[in-house]
Amino acid sequence: MNDAATPTPTGRPAGTPSHPLGDAWRTLRRRPDTIIATVVLLVFAVMAAFPRLFTTTSPRTCPIREARTDPQGWGGEHPLGTDSLGCDVLATMVHGVRPSLLLALVVVGVSLAIGVTLGLLAGYYLGWVDYLVSRTVEVFLVIPLLLAALLVLSLFKGIDLGAGTFDVILLPAVVLILFGWMPYARYVRASTLEAKNLDYVTAARSLGASDLRIMVRHVLPNAIGTVTALLPTSVAGVISAEAVLSFLGIGVRPPATSWGIQIEQGSQWVLGGAPHILLAPLICLVATVLALVVLGDALRDALDPRLTA
Amino acid sequence: MGRYILRRVLQAVGTLLLVMLLLHLLTTVAIQLNGNPAQAFFGDKVPTPAQVAAVEQRFNLDDPCFDQVGNPCLGPFVERLGQYAQGDFGTNLRGREVSDIVATAAPNTIRLFCVVLVTWLALGMVLGSVAARWRGSPSDHGIRLTSVLIDAFPVFVLLIVYRYVVAVPLNGWAERTFGENSWPPYWFKPSFDPEHPWATVLVPGILLGLAGSAAFIRLVRAGQLESYQGDHVRTARSKGLGERHVVVHHVVRNSSVPVVTAVGLTFTEALGGAVITEGLMNIYGMGGVLWGAVRDDDVGLVLGIVTLLAAVTVVVMIVVDIAYALLDPRIRYE
Amino acid sequence: MSAVTRPVPNGASGSAPGSAPSSALLEVTDLTVEFRTPGGPVRAVDRLSYRVEAGRTLAIVGESGSGKSVSSLAVLGLLPDTARVTHGSVRLAGTDLLGLSRKEHRARCGDQVAMVFQDALAALNPVHTVGYQLTEALRGRRGMSRADARKRAVELLDLVKVPNARARVKEYPHQFSGGMRQRVMIASALAMDPDVLIADEPTTALDVTVQAQVLRLLAEIQAERQMGLVLITHDLGVVAGVADDVTVMYAGTAVEQAPVAPVYTTPAHPYTRALLRSIPSASGAGRLSVIPGRPPSPGAMPAGCPFHPRCDAVRDVCRTDVPPAAVPAEDRMSACHFAADIMAGREPAPDDKDTGGHDD
Repeated sequence: MNDAATPTPTGRPAGTPSHPLGDAWRTLRRRPDTIIATVVLLVFAVMAAFPRLFTTTSPRTCPIREARTDPQGWGGEHPLGTDSLGCDVLATMVHGVRPSLLLALVVVGVSLAIGVTLGLLAGYYLGWVDYLVSRTVEVFLVIPLLLAALLVLSLFKGIDLGAGTFDVILLPAVVLILFGWMPYARYVRASTLEAKNLDYVTAARSLGASDLRIMVRHVLPNAIGTVTALLPTSVAGVISAEAVLSFLGIGVRPPATSWGIQIEQGSQWVLGGAPHILLAPLICLVATVLALVVLGDALRDALDPRLTA
Repeated sequence: MGRYILRRVLQAVGTLLLVMLLLHLLTTVAIQLNGNPAQAFFGDKVPTPAQVAAVEQRFNLDDPCFDQVGNPCLGPFVERLGQYAQGDFGTNLRGREVSDIVATAAPNTIRLFCVVLVTWLALGMVLGSVAARWRGSPSDHGIRLTSVLIDAFPVFVLLIVYRYVVAVPLNGWAERTFGENSWPPYWFKPSFDPEHPWATVLVPGILLGLAGSAAFIRLVRAGQLESYQGDHVRTARSKGLGERHVVVHHVVRNSSVPVVTAVGLTFTEALGGAVITEGLMNIYGMGGVLWGAVRDDDVGLVLGIVTLLAAVTVVVMIVVDIAYALLDPRIRYE
Repeated sequence: MSAVTRPVPNGASGSAPGSAPSSALLEVTDLTVEFRTPGGPVRAVDRLSYRVEAGRTLAIVGESGSGKSVSSLAVLGLLPDTARVTHGSVRLAGTDLLGLSRKEHRARCGDQVAMVFQDALAALNPVHTVGYQLTEALRGRRGMSRADARKRAVELLDLVKVPNARARVKEYPHQFSGGMRQRVMIASALAMDPDVLIADEPTTALDVTVQAQVLRLLAEIQAERQMGLVLITHDLGVVAGVADDVTVMYAGTAVEQAPVAPVYTTPAHPYTRALLRSIPSASGAGRLSVIPGRPPSPGAMPAGCPFHPRCDAVRDVCRTDVPPAAVPAEDRMSACHFAADIMAGREPAPDDKDTGGHDD
């Protein structure tokens, strides 16, 4: 594949023109697997933004007499068939992308912001700030993410939040953020501790640079590498966690659809002669996760050359 | 060493108290916003106020603070701690003691975790060591590709595919080939059988272990690569020690330190995985009970189990810390 | 070029006049080590030859990157995967180690030739006790019992003068001070009574006072056991009191080889001369001179003499011709076109067509 064919970057510069990220980006561009992964993710991103490009059928028109129609191929009325209620599988799948992706991005974005801030403060100031942050991290780490999500979401199951784009993902987002920010805080704290004693940071401090300036300009770029490599895998983690929660009926709220809900319905009919209801969303889920994992793996390589072959 | 352990244990008790407080606060807010979970006890029936009051009392929900949004309800929290201390973790909606449920469910979860741990260590140590030993070779690249693929299939997906697509035909095939009462059909039974707990837990356990093994493979590989490049390995070789001795006592031994830490961190993840595994495969373990409780809206049971599992996690973390100190003298003598 | 051969080891013998060549414990001939790099193979050691006899100390002196450590790793067969010996031989008690299988080569390490590494904190394993590391090879290779091993470990620590040896064998390397740790490192190399000991900058990481103690200890043990000692250092200053012979390395090649005394009085290579001038003297008289520039990177060797860009006696011929190994006096070798002039303390004649009278 040619570099010219490379789609616009997913590894956005994020306002930090530090060299490690630039180098990483140059390395990534040359690997066909990352290019394919990026294309896959772009397709799903477009699907999330403009579902009508992929299907004109509404996921909510479900004539029950057409239930469990087999896939009819591209051009048919139901290219991927219909599910047990007669809803179009393709339409459900396409419309299910948006909540999943949005949830993943929101969760990872906010957790990252919280984790980076707390980790930076803890590592930089140490003392009671560090004690507070470290203990909090410890407390939240003791409750596994999924268990916490199960508990909180079942606690708050009855609360009605509305059906807006953000409303349907609000609760899972809050829970996954609440129990998902700790890894970032730990990584950032560790690299802050490391960076703090580097000569150029000491030099900057002795020249009278403010704490904020030192943190943002000198310490943070040092930490950003490890954390960036975590991001794709974290997004993948949130997407699969959402699928599990939706499978249990406590993830994305109806009327929104999601792959998890679809997988739950589909799993009943695999042996009943309609495996496509399960396979369509499952394949999409695996494709997304695989693309993200490949990207994460490549990023880890590019940012941490010590571990590469 | 003794003081180190004592300090860690005290710290852990503090953490556990904070965790319980956190869980309590979450529950309290939920009840305050959400209305009284005692309602769930009655399902679709409309209870009389007296009935509701009775249930509220039974679940310790009769305190008026539960109706005041923002009240942290510390009174009931202290009361609950007292009950926990006496081994009383409450009851489920049908009145069965949580401790009783756990007593029957825990052995199956322990079985599952045994299988998981063996899978982790076997896959992680073997594949990771091979990849590190022959770094850059085709087997290294193959192992690396495998670990990426493993990561791409979350436990959830693996189990769904296994249970709904693979298990039934496989089970039928095994029955035809080996006879109905032999072992293989049990291995591939799509759901748990309390009569044959080990056999029916085996495949789900391997799948759950497989899902977590990618991180292990990577970690073992990275740890051993670092060791291989270490000066102390060169020293050992300069003494004329055989390569096998060097690998065992200087490479694997030294890289065991990060691996043990990883067991601790991956454990919490595996607990989440165990809930999915037991839930999907109908294994009557802690996770299975939790899965069921979520589906039945049995908030009391969910809270009890999550609290218990948090306690288990704390214990595992202490054990990991002690193992860490035993493995790395630099920590021990700090 | 005229009939100049490399004098070491078979021509004029490198040291101990009159001794037969076969008496050398360790004899390195034309050793060449190359590293694989993305830019093609790079030569880290280029036709290095030296010999060490029982009871004598050879100092290999050079800046970092001059190939002195790589050459000793090659002797022990411990080169990293990216490096390999492309030429030459390493004879240990008459056997060419490089011709042996990896396993046989390894079996001679520790036993016949042992090595003391530079940074003892990194070179000792942090997770094993000092006692374990001292006798690991004895237990693993000679089947020594646990009790005997413990006794031997205490003896070894006593030998290197670590106080309170009986208690300290149970401790871990991080519990030792830098100097004590280096003593442990030396003791572990001595565990199997090697005939030859290679010490790679054994004192670099230590305080000056501790440096002297450790060097004295090494010299004592060497004299007592009649070992051959190869002392690798970047500091010509520490060599004087300890070594019998000196090999000065620059950019992977030996530029001067001689017994220790004349090197200090009449260096025969401009590089050696410059190194001597950069040693601070106790009298503090005169300005301390530095060698201008930096050693060439092995990937970008200058044409002609590798030292010519930094040489204060450079002539035209140095820029084009690699200097042959000259023998300006008995037992001496200098890879300089003007070895005789330099040794005599003269500046070489100004440029003309003559390449200098260095033939005999």
